[in-house]
Amino acid sequence: MAVKLQNDSQCLTLLPMNERLKLSELNGLVKKAVSESFTAPIWVIAEISELKTNRSGHCYLVLIEKDPNGDTVVAQARATIWSYTFRMLKPYFETTTGQQLIEGLKVLVSVSVEFHELYGYSLNIRDIDPTYTLGDMARRRIEIIARLKADGVADMNKELELPLVPQKIAVISSPTAAGYQDFVDQLVKNQQGFKFHLKLFPAIMQGNQAETSIIGALEQIYLYEDFFDAVVIIRGGGSQADLSCFDNYNLAYFITQFPLPVITGIGHEKDDSIVDLVAHTRLKTPTAVAEFLIGVAANFEVKLDGLKDGFMNGVDERLSEASKNIDQLARVLTPLTREKLAKKRGQLNPMVWKIDNSVKRYIKLRNIQLERKEEFIRHDFLFFLQRRFRHLEKISRQLTGSLLKVNVTKFEQLERKWQRTEKLARKKTSESRHYLDLSFQVAMLTDPYKILARGYSITTFGGHALKNIENIDINAVIHTRLSKGSLISEVKIINLEN
Amino acid sequence: MGKKNLSYKEAITEIEEILGQLENNELDVDELSEKVKRVSVLVTLCKEKLHNTEQEIDKILKEMDNN
Repeated sequence: MAVKLQNDSQCLTLLPMNERLKLSELNGLVKKAVSESFTAPIWVIAEISELKTNRSGHCYLVLIEKDPNGDTVVAQARATIWSYTFRMLKPYFETTTGQQLIEGLKVLVSVSVEFHELYGYSLNIRDIDPTYTLGDMARRRIEIIARLKADGVADMNKELELPLVPQKIAVISSPTAAGYQDFVDQLVKNQQGFKFHLKLFPAIMQGNQAETSIIGALEQIYLYEDFFDAVVIIRGGGSQADLSCFDNYNLAYFITQFPLPVITGIGHEKDDSIVDLVAHTRLKTPTAVAEFLIGVAANFEVKLDGLKDGFMNGVDERLSEASKNIDQLARVLTPLTREKLAKKRGQLNPMVWKIDNSVKRYIKLRNIQLERKEEFIRHDFLFFLQRRFRHLEKISRQLTGSLLKVNVTKFEQLERKWQRTEKLARKKTSESRHYLDLSFQVAMLTDPYKILARGYSITTFGGHALKNIENIDINAVIHTRLSKGSLISEVKIINLEN
Repeated sequence: MGKKNLSYKEAITEIEEILGQLENNELDVDELSEKVKRVSVLVTLCKEKLHNTEQEIDKILKEMDNN
């Protein structure tokens, strides 16, 4: 090659110094020189920096080389894979590596160096050696794993305790992935009816943006660290290949430091990714994760039921044991009790007889005492009555005596009164008689007939003695009584005499 | 008595403890009824938690959506 190049350069230097070329002529010369220098394809190691395919199936790439630190790009070239080649190379590469042919990969490709007057320098890829990429990835993986181990963090997430039944699940997935929907359906509609609370934290799950996107989702979940039981990272439905983003140191490191257990189901059939390696629980697919979660809950329920049954059986056993013991005791006790009872009864009989007798005796005694008391009381009462009676008699006699005394006194008083009255009456009578004699003598002196005989007369009018002139009128008929007869006369004149 | 917030672990631990006492004949027959009640409460709490929606959790999840 070197010889050839030298030949070509010799050829170029042969051009006259002052000749002016058109750009196309110059480019034509370069193209000629290049094609003459690189007659056969060359194996070249490069990193894919850009990769896209157009509609006709051609693949356009940018290949680069970085310095050993990976910081600076030290070489770059455009590259193409024509569609008929790409159609074969792509599946070959991906089935061999389990890795999509994407940006960021280091590849060993067979290229023909080309120069086009209009488009310039480019490499046409004819072949690819996937084992180089595999080796490179493996080396990188080994490096990352070694670094994580050196950091002492590789097993930190595994050391977290998964709750007995993780039910509050933070899910990191692409919301549009079929795998995500299947996962949700599977958990929500699980046959045992376990309740799962799912919350999606959307992220880009492939390519170079995956790292920051997934870390961003984890940071969101971290805000609810106390709420969630576990984080599930799932990926499914898309390409089986592009998993290099899960062989990422930063993402892996972030997971090791995460306070919640991380369960992965990122659809990796072959080797585990580094994220899988550091995750608490590594499962192949979203479906497997769902099954795992349901299984954990089911196991718990089985354990719970088992404990409960075990307990209840134990309780039954204890109870039947206890009741057996009681039966046994009862069996022993019954004859024993009977014996004791008989013995006691034997002791009781004379006692009963004794009690009976003494009770009777006691009653009799009391009866006698009562009778005696009764007699005493009766006697006392009679005595009392007699005394009262005598007392009453005495009172009665006293009363009669004083009554008689009162009467005698009264009688004597009456008698005295009577004698006094009689004396008084006699005196009054003699006095009255004397008075009568005297009055008779007086009356004898005032006898009207004698008075008439002495010349006086009595005039009457209407039967009444006429003592006064005022009660008489002219022509009134008046009677005049005289000694030895009377006159009837009419009043003719009335002389008032004063 | 257990609250709603009793964790599965606490529940299982307590049931295992009671079962252990039973198996080691540390339980008096008179205590059995009380322990049976307790175990049944714990089992029921776990079953409810396994199968039923907890409103509080739904509330928190809804709040997350609003943030």
